[in-house]
Amino acid sequence: MNKHSKIFFTAILSQLLAIAAFAQAEKTDLSLSISYFNSNNHVQYLVAHAKSKIDGKFQMIPNINLSFYIATEDAANLLGKAVTNDKGDALLFIPPTAKDEWKKSAKVSFIIVSQKTKDFDEAKGNVEITKAKIQIDTAADRKITATLMELKDTVWTPVKAIDVKIAVKRLDADLNVAETPTYATDSLGVASADFKRDSLPGDSKGNLTLIAKVEDNDVYGNLSAEKIVPWGKSIKYYTEFDKRTLFARRGKSPLWLELLAYSIVVAVWGVLIYLFGQIKKLKQLGVN
Amino acid sequence: MKTNDTSRREFISATLLAGLAVTGCSTGKNPFEPDAATIETVKPSGEMIKLLSVDGEVIEVDKAFLKPVPSLPQVSNELARQGIPGKKFVMVIDLSRCKSLKKCQSACNHMHSIHPGQNWIKVYPQQEAEHTAPYWQPTTCMHCDEPPCVKVCPVDATFKRQDGIVLIDSDRCIGCRFCMAACPYSTRVFNWEDLNLPKEIADKPYSCETSVPQKKGTVGKCDFCPDMARKGELPHCVSACPNGVFMFGDMIEDSVTNGSETFRFSELVRDKAGYRLMEDLGTKPSVYYLPPVNRNFPFENKSETEENKKS
Amino acid sequence: MESLAKQQIIEDLLPQKFGKAGKIWVGILLAFCALGFVAYCLQLKNGLVVTAMRDYVSWGIYISNFVFFVAISLVGSLITAVLRLTQAKWSTPLTRIAEIIAVSAITFASIIIVVDMGRPDRFYNLFLHGRLQSPIVWDVIVITTYFFVSILLLYFPLLPDMAIMMKHKDVTGMPWLNKMYTFLGSFWKNTAGQIHISEKAINILSITIIPVAFAIHTVTSWLFATTYRPGWDSTNFGAYFISGAFLVGAGAVVVAMYVFRRSYKLENYIKDEHFDKMGKVLVLLALLYLYFNVNEFLVPAFKMKKSEEEHLMGLFTGEFAIVFWFAISTAMLIPILILITKKGRKPFPAFIAGILVVIGSWFKRYLIVTPTLLHPFLPMTDVPEVYKHYFPTWQEWSIALGSLAGALLIITIFARIFPIIPIQETITEIEEHEQA
Repeated sequence: MNKHSKIFFTAILSQLLAIAAFAQAEKTDLSLSISYFNSNNHVQYLVAHAKSKIDGKFQMIPNINLSFYIATEDAANLLGKAVTNDKGDALLFIPPTAKDEWKKSAKVSFIIVSQKTKDFDEAKGNVEITKAKIQIDTAADRKITATLMELKDTVWTPVKAIDVKIAVKRLDADLNVAETPTYATDSLGVASADFKRDSLPGDSKGNLTLIAKVEDNDVYGNLSAEKIVPWGKSIKYYTEFDKRTLFARRGKSPLWLELLAYSIVVAVWGVLIYLFGQIKKLKQLGVN
Repeated sequence: MKTNDTSRREFISATLLAGLAVTGCSTGKNPFEPDAATIETVKPSGEMIKLLSVDGEVIEVDKAFLKPVPSLPQVSNELARQGIPGKKFVMVIDLSRCKSLKKCQSACNHMHSIHPGQNWIKVYPQQEAEHTAPYWQPTTCMHCDEPPCVKVCPVDATFKRQDGIVLIDSDRCIGCRFCMAACPYSTRVFNWEDLNLPKEIADKPYSCETSVPQKKGTVGKCDFCPDMARKGELPHCVSACPNGVFMFGDMIEDSVTNGSETFRFSELVRDKAGYRLMEDLGTKPSVYYLPPVNRNFPFENKSETEENKKS
Repeated sequence: MESLAKQQIIEDLLPQKFGKAGKIWVGILLAFCALGFVAYCLQLKNGLVVTAMRDYVSWGIYISNFVFFVAISLVGSLITAVLRLTQAKWSTPLTRIAEIIAVSAITFASIIIVVDMGRPDRFYNLFLHGRLQSPIVWDVIVITTYFFVSILLLYFPLLPDMAIMMKHKDVTGMPWLNKMYTFLGSFWKNTAGQIHISEKAINILSITIIPVAFAIHTVTSWLFATTYRPGWDSTNFGAYFISGAFLVGAGAVVVAMYVFRRSYKLENYIKDEHFDKMGKVLVLLALLYLYFNVNEFLVPAFKMKKSEEEHLMGLFTGEFAIVFWFAISTAMLIPILILITKKGRKPFPAFIAGILVVIGSWFKRYLIVTPTLLHPFLPMTDVPEVYKHYFPTWQEWSIALGSLAGALLIITIFARIFPIIPIQETITEIEEHEQA
């Protein structure tokens, strides 16, 4: 999950406010940063953040056009372009065109360049990462292990003394599997945790998704891996939705109400229709 | 049942999985390949995206399995009225952490383009009685399980979904304001005049899930940001609060988070003696409060005026 | 051969052209209607922001006016149905006055509720998406029903009179009016068969209108009583509303009796006896309403629950105290004191008492709606200062006054077109009286 959006979301100002504040001011420095993400060792993407110090406070800058490059700022190495959103973030998946450059070495650097705007001059940001993988496994007695490996030259080697978060995936959240949230890797690159969340609800089959994560690491960026385990309690969700209640949608009112209402309406309007019929009868009597 | 399937697919694709179904590229047994169970729960969208893997291989990934999803189409009105199957959203508000910074309020107002002066989130300076402690009490919509506002709506403009969220269809609301009279939490606001929104917001088709754009002559209120939940993200107020006052989550998953901390919902509410507002009215709110004990901040009411003397 | 007495009755009761006073009266009413219309156009253009209603006071004098109209329209069932069924023959000359008040009031109740809507352009949603669970939908159903019942109850007794009027075309003096009489009543031949059907229909209607009338005002009270708010959350509300409605309706009838008697010189038909009897009815109804008021305020005031306290104190001694005691005394106490004496039941003092009842009742409706909204469970917070008070804007006053003028205009025009006292019924009664 994109942690940066949360961390930097503390102060949102409307784009309008930002623009208004800039209208009078000199061009301000735009500061760009970039994070590397790799989830499940397959999907790799970059998230760029644009912020600027306005009135002594850092604020996220939306609508900045960014170009992403790999290794060097050459047209040939252009990965793609993206525009920052309200939170000042722009996301780009790493495309297959970067294959050759990516394979060159164990370390890769990424560069972002912003387009000049009315309020900001061109700015740059870059990050260098070492290729790494994380693997999550489970063993007997609900033991979870996470193995972290980095690429040294051409060999995947274990990494030690790195904090790995081991958790259960929830809605935009990671719930600790036990008291501590993170576990350090040993010389074999293995961090292990015991699952102590008894009877935690899973899906309908009782499945939980475990996740092992390295977050905001200076060398490796953000890595994560997931595994589904049947360790949860299976949940049958009961909902009042679409039952006949007073707060249900149209046509779903309680039967007693429908019976009562319709019988009253039918009775009263039956009388009225009968009386309208009587007017017709009066007319016929008058004509004859 | 077809519609249910679709909504389920869209939700899962958006939230549950960073797990991937990798097609077309895997050669041999890959230790990092996702579980079969993962693949089972997701229906591919059919739209494939080519990516570069960490091994330097070109892979094709179904868009439905990408997380985060770059953009999600707005759900239809019918799906927005049904809600997300298998979810029951709850919020926990920790009163011991609130110092009335109102970052929640400004984030909410901005994201929903609310009329200036009106607020969907209010922060009450509360004091139950003369000798009891004052504290700040932020309120959102309570998303009651027996919502009095929904009971009285004559046209299904406000409705209760299966995931517990109460929303408003501003394209249907007739502006009778019965719901405002019915709500004991004073959570609903009315758009008394044209909002003069910027054209790019005003021209958007209204979505019940984003509650944007608000329309003249209709009622608006906190919506628990179900559009964010579909993306697997937290409501704007939750992520905007620097003190972690708001915790949001799925009661079925039994967990709530404020972004940096995650708790088991049942443990948190049990251990800290959580409660709901006006329990005696029988509205069964989805918002739980943790009492203002062991507070992080002293209570300072800078704009103390005589009008706030009632509890 | 028509007897002389009969000829005289017809001459006295046929509708008359507007005199100078009548024209001025209609002019004034039209002016108020026009002002209300202009104000409503402004409201349509700018939205409900032209009113003083805001998020806390989300219902203002439009809704009080609506409740007032629904209340007054109940009189149709009281005078016509209750008195007819109890064989109170003296009420015959009052039935049509009561019915036209009912029809015009219920018409403007429906209009004012549309005026209160934020999106009147989506009115059709009530039919496309109506939810049976909502008391508003119940209100729409019963008000529509009541409107038709009232129209029928107005129409059946009119049939013989229309036949009479077609015989006196010269009096009406307007060809289009005669065409309308022909369209509405040319088939009436006063045959025994027709009279039988008509009488039976009127009897059925008199019975039907009672539950429907109770329903319109009970459902209207439920618009408030189905919420949790202090001042509205009351099981007493249906009966409280109905008793108040009978009171204001009867008061309005007394006022109308006096005005019609004066302007149409109907002293031989609306006699002092009628004021005396209606005066007694008013006292009874005022006492009944007073009884429900005591229930409504004394019981919660005895307990003084925290949520009720501010609301009640606001009414008794606080910001609404003046209006509250004004309404209680003008709607109930003073009229009782006036009408309890025989002298007080003479036409003029009864007329004054009737006016007091109507005015006091209007303010009573205001007190039912607004003070409650200003005392929500959670204190008013995080809103602009103006949201915490309510005083209607000129647009609201204009629309409210315009609607009242409109209701009066309907009654006035009706009296211009149709005999305001049933001619045929009066003749029949006198004939029966003579035979006996």
